[in-house]
Amino acid sequence: MGTITVCPYCGTGCQIVINEYGSSQHIIGYSLSPVNEGKLCIKGYSGLSYNFSKERLIKPMIREGDSFRNADWNEALNYSASRMREIISKYGPDSVAFQSSAKCTNEENYLMQKIARMAGTNNIDHCARSCHSPTALGLINTIGAGAATGSIGSLEDTRTFFIIGTNTTEQHPIIGAKILRERKKGKNLIVADPRKIQLSTSANVFLQFKPGSDIALLNSIMFVILKNNWQDNDFINSRTQGFEEFRKEIEKYPPEVTEEITGVNPSLVEEAAMMIAKERPAAIFYAMGITQHIHGTENVMDVSNLALITGNIGVRGSGIFPLRGQNNVQGSSDMGALSEFYPGYVRYDSDNVKKFEELWGKKMPRNRGLTLSEMFDAAADGKIKAIYLMGENPLITEASVSKVEEGINNLELFIVQDIFLTLTAAKAHVVFPAASSLEKEGTFTNTERRIQKISPIYKPPGEAKPDWWILKEFGKMLLGMEDYSSPEMIFDEIRKVIYNYSGASYDNIFPIGKQWPINKDFPEGTEIMHSKSFPIGRGKLIPVPFGYPAERADDDYRFIMTTGRNYYHWHSGTMTRRTDILERESPEPYVEINNDDAMMLKIRNGQVITLESRHGSIKIKARITDKIPSGIVFVPFHFVEARVNELVGENYDPISKIPEFKVVAVKVIP
Amino acid sequence: MIIQKNEYLPEYYNIENVKWETPDIYTINIKTKNPGHSGQFFMLSVPGTGEAAISVASGNGRDLSFTIRKIGSVTGKIYSSQKIGVRGPYGKGWPWKDYDHIVAVAGGIGVPPIRSLLEELMDAGRNRDVSIIYGARTPSDLVYKDRFEEWSRCVDLTITVDRGDEKWGGNTGFVTEFIGRKNFSKDTAIFIIGPPLMMKNSVAEAIKSGIREENIFLSLERRMECGIGVCGHCNVGEYYVCEDGPIFRYTDVKDKPELFL
Amino acid sequence: MAKLFKSISEEYDTYGTISEQGEIVFGQVRGFKDIVDGRSKYAPKEFLISRNENILYLPKIEKKAVFGIRSCDLKGFYIMDRQIYGKDPFYTARRDNTLFINFVCREPCEGGFCSSFGGPVLEEYQIQVIPDGGKYLVMVSEEFEKYMKDFKVVENNEIEKFRKDFDNKMEKLPVEGIENRIKWNSKLWKEYASICISCGACNFSCPTCYCFDLYDREDERLREWDSCILAGFTSSSAGNNRPELDERLRQRFYHKYVYYKKSKDVYLCTGCNRCTEDCPVDIDIKEVITHDYSKE
Ligand SMILES: Cc1cc2nc3c(=O)[nH]c(=O)nc-3n(C[C@H](O)[C@H](O)[C@H](O)COP(=O)(O)OP(=O)(O)OC[C@H]3O[C@@H](n4cnc5c(N)ncnc54)[C@H](O)[C@@H]3O)c2cc1C
Ligand code: SF4
Ligand code: SF4
Ligand code: FES
Repeated sequence: MGTITVCPYCGTGCQIVINEYGSSQHIIGYSLSPVNEGKLCIKGYSGLSYNFSKERLIKPMIREGDSFRNADWNEALNYSASRMREIISKYGPDSVAFQSSAKCTNEENYLMQKIARMAGTNNIDHCARSCHSPTALGLINTIGAGAATGSIGSLEDTRTFFIIGTNTTEQHPIIGAKILRERKKGKNLIVADPRKIQLSTSANVFLQFKPGSDIALLNSIMFVILKNNWQDNDFINSRTQGFEEFRKEIEKYPPEVTEEITGVNPSLVEEAAMMIAKERPAAIFYAMGITQHIHGTENVMDVSNLALITGNIGVRGSGIFPLRGQNNVQGSSDMGALSEFYPGYVRYDSDNVKKFEELWGKKMPRNRGLTLSEMFDAAADGKIKAIYLMGENPLITEASVSKVEEGINNLELFIVQDIFLTLTAAKAHVVFPAASSLEKEGTFTNTERRIQKISPIYKPPGEAKPDWWILKEFGKMLLGMEDYSSPEMIFDEIRKVIYNYSGASYDNIFPIGKQWPINKDFPEGTEIMHSKSFPIGRGKLIPVPFGYPAERADDDYRFIMTTGRNYYHWHSGTMTRRTDILERESPEPYVEINNDDAMMLKIRNGQVITLESRHGSIKIKARITDKIPSGIVFVPFHFVEARVNELVGENYDPISKIPEFKVVAVKVIP
Repeated sequence: MIIQKNEYLPEYYNIENVKWETPDIYTINIKTKNPGHSGQFFMLSVPGTGEAAISVASGNGRDLSFTIRKIGSVTGKIYSSQKIGVRGPYGKGWPWKDYDHIVAVAGGIGVPPIRSLLEELMDAGRNRDVSIIYGARTPSDLVYKDRFEEWSRCVDLTITVDRGDEKWGGNTGFVTEFIGRKNFSKDTAIFIIGPPLMMKNSVAEAIKSGIREENIFLSLERRMECGIGVCGHCNVGEYYVCEDGPIFRYTDVKDKPELFL
Repeated sequence: MAKLFKSISEEYDTYGTISEQGEIVFGQVRGFKDIVDGRSKYAPKEFLISRNENILYLPKIEKKAVFGIRSCDLKGFYIMDRQIYGKDPFYTARRDNTLFINFVCREPCEGGFCSSFGGPVLEEYQIQVIPDGGKYLVMVSEEFEKYMKDFKVVENNEIEKFRKDFDNKMEKLPVEGIENRIKWNSKLWKEYASICISCGACNFSCPTCYCFDLYDREDERLREWDSCILAGFTSSSAGNNRPELDERLRQRFYHKYVYYKKSKDVYLCTGCNRCTEDCPVDIDIKEVITHDYSKE
């Protein structure tokens, strides 16, 4: 029997058919899927065996001294709920916090945020904070919706691809491949990245800019456009506001001036500008290279500015494509697993919160909740007493992990729900064993807003249960919430709460999914958003001045370190490092360093060196390459053996609170 | 075809004793007769960790012995395991029976198959027909130090190190420097095993010294997983190193890219 | 056909092509009418080489009959037999106990080039079926003649005519002698490497690729399909003999068109075009055959 599911890894959301019958198993990409058209990357093909790892959690556990003892569900849930109730009654609802997960389904994210808010707190957040919170905030501000404006399928009509801050063929391989297929047909490809990423070899224009100079680069592209009068005046006049003010800011960025900041030759900027403005439709892709900065939200807004002044939005083949890391970053944000948004991006302080009070029959908190890292800080300060964490491993993925550890150690109650006993879970008071995405039902929303259905293929091991089941049992015990009998019942509630999901049902999204907004006005969903107007009326052009990153190379710390993922691993490696082939491909941590730099420092390939920042230091093997420019080093963050986030400082984007993972000044010590 | 046996299923043995030859190289003995021949290898396994291809270090018919460098997960666990899995022997061994006189050259951790060869020659009473040249980087990298004395009594043995230390009274220099100094006829065969560069230089030296190209044999190492020519990892050119090798005649591989690097 | 199916099903568990939300895959079938006519999305290698299985334990091998496998996919097994039959106990036992009833395509599929390798009517087969407008031309090998006692055996000239018709519809590629024309330093390899995303699809989809990886999980030793496009495939304690992606892509094509031809006297390719179909960046194996290396 074949079952269609969604890849548990990146935000592309490839549909996988797992055909299992008798003793045979075959894994293929679903040909009819408009997302991946029958293709998969190596993680889709060979990345699923973690599911059968013998290290899976199979029983609820309760801490006893330094170790755990097994418990049954009733006891574990009861214990957790009553402990949390005590804490709430003693310290108030804002003393507890919830951390949701972009690896979990919409239904589960919805439930978790509902529990938090029903308990009286907006302290609910998830890992999108560390990857795409600037997208939600930036794009909602400028165009009214924090989501990709077009579809993957519509890229067939694109004439110019502009890739900035995404190593697409490694991080979103199937979208990267789509771009390459289009490139083969003669489309334009502009790549802006500090590293010589694979796509750059196929690019017409490669802008190798310095980390953290995104705004200078984008502004000077727009400078060239305005100077040559290449902008789309009709679009600007009829669809946007704030152009005059915006223009004044842009005038400060001739490429000849910004060259010193970006390191990019003005003639290349000129060429790129021409293509984006003249060879339309143009589609702009970005990912963590744009967002993980102290100017992350401004970066996003500047990307939006570029799309707006060139009229590259609302038309098939054009648009802004934030590429989501986890497979459900879009969905978990839509569901309101964010401290400043209720489901459907209703701000905590807006009048619309009333809607939830009516639906849920309770007064809702109107204060801003804490973000992920603030939760740990508050825990360290003793303000947060309990955290319920689902499917995350912050001890590896968060910036300044030592601070996180301090926070966790200070908690009175730490509940962790996961499929493995991660570094973080090992510190819990209660551990709930969860089912994996191959073992449960629900929906995921991919990077192009497509709501896709997953169905269970395997039975969860031991007593592990789907996250939605655990959450609703917990909700029942803590707050007397209703007893949802299935994920579909939760989804039906989501449809009532989020207008953009209101037209979707388990029946009509199967098998190939539908893109939100799907509602009365768009019963079949929406492939291209903003084609006539923006949800906020006119798009806002917002002047974005350039500012340097928080850390810069200096005489002491001569290198800039940027962090990220590699092709084979996934975040903290909890899943991928348990799949044989992926682990074989990338078994150990490494730092990429430019060949000239290595020669100067007399570093051999494979030599263990020390990286030291102002915040910490790690030992790690050097990998010498010409893919990275001189003065920059790159470290993937998947490895427990070398937790690179120990080097990342507490520099946050003041708007979105995202930590600056992409620019850290370091010393390289042979 | 009736399948009698699951070739992948190892037999499990207790390790008799572990002897540390250097800080990271150890020899293990197993109480069972070696069914294989010098130059062949076995797949050793630690249950729950995995398998590794290891050349047999003892002669045919003697107790099974392996000498292993600790470099990874399996090799880092064998010595501390009670029981290990053993399957094999696999591959082709040294064709010593075809030659009247043999020069055997080993570099670094390549020496176990040469010890095995030596034992077989001794057991066949042919210890006078072989000259052995064994080199390591430093005296502390030498393996089988406690056997040198016994060996030097019955075969022509040359030990050398790249760099000596204060206590070192023996030869210094690369193995290649000693190849030319041996006496041999043009029918002499030379067996070479060691790191790629060492093998390359040794071949050049052997040819220069007048050994016929078709009398040169090399042991090549590739990633191996099945050992029986089905998993594909060791495929290079038209060969599967696990079944067509690991011992190759130089003339069969010399023009083949990726084989003799 | 229903009758043939029935008599086979008395001895074998029956499998065939079925549709799963529009995707043609293999699954258990109870009657001939359950079988959908169409080419499966993948080569059903899992019947003989499991994608993932414990190799420490040889399970009881069931007798299976597989209906509707296409000639190009079946031919893959006859080709890999030469390297692995008799050596891999799992493959061998399953091969001996599986009856493939291959359906010959009447019309060329898009992009396929099986006729360049002698397809789609195979020389080696067990039971070979050529659908012919509601009728079926059936060919059986000696071993399975017992199933055909009530049926009329196909005449040679009918087959010949079918072959001719088919050949008129599918262009033949200049496969002959590719092992001598292909070039080690061709620019193709670097060109492919600049776009290949190392997904492994070309191996997983190929009816002739048999490589696998072994690893331990607690008390199990597992086999999992592997891909020679991945760097770890050849990394060993002595270094990596194919560290670069262009070298690995070249290895794949050389193994198919040069090495296997030299060692086993057959190309390791059936012309099914599946690797090209599944490649996310449209690398077309036909180009490797048709490319003019002499101009480089
Ligand atoms: C024919 C042959 C004979 C050998 N004889 C000996 C010997 O006598 N003594 C000895 O110490 N070593 C020998 N080796 C090398 C030995 O097989 C590897 O060192 C061993 O496989 C490493 O396993 P591991 O699990 O400890 O390492 P891992 O933890 O798996 O990895 C460590 C390193 O070993 C490499 N490696 C992993 N798996 C394999 C594999 N299947 N084949 C080759 N390399 C691999 C990895 O690329 C990595 O560089 C031989 C190899 C071959 C092919
Ligand atoms: S591209 Fe992303 S969603 Fe698709 S198979 Fe790869 S990791 Fe999975
Ligand atoms: S299918 Fe294409 S992209 Fe994938 S590994 Fe093969 S050649 Fe590379
Ligand atoms: S080791 Fe498997 S084919 Fe050689």
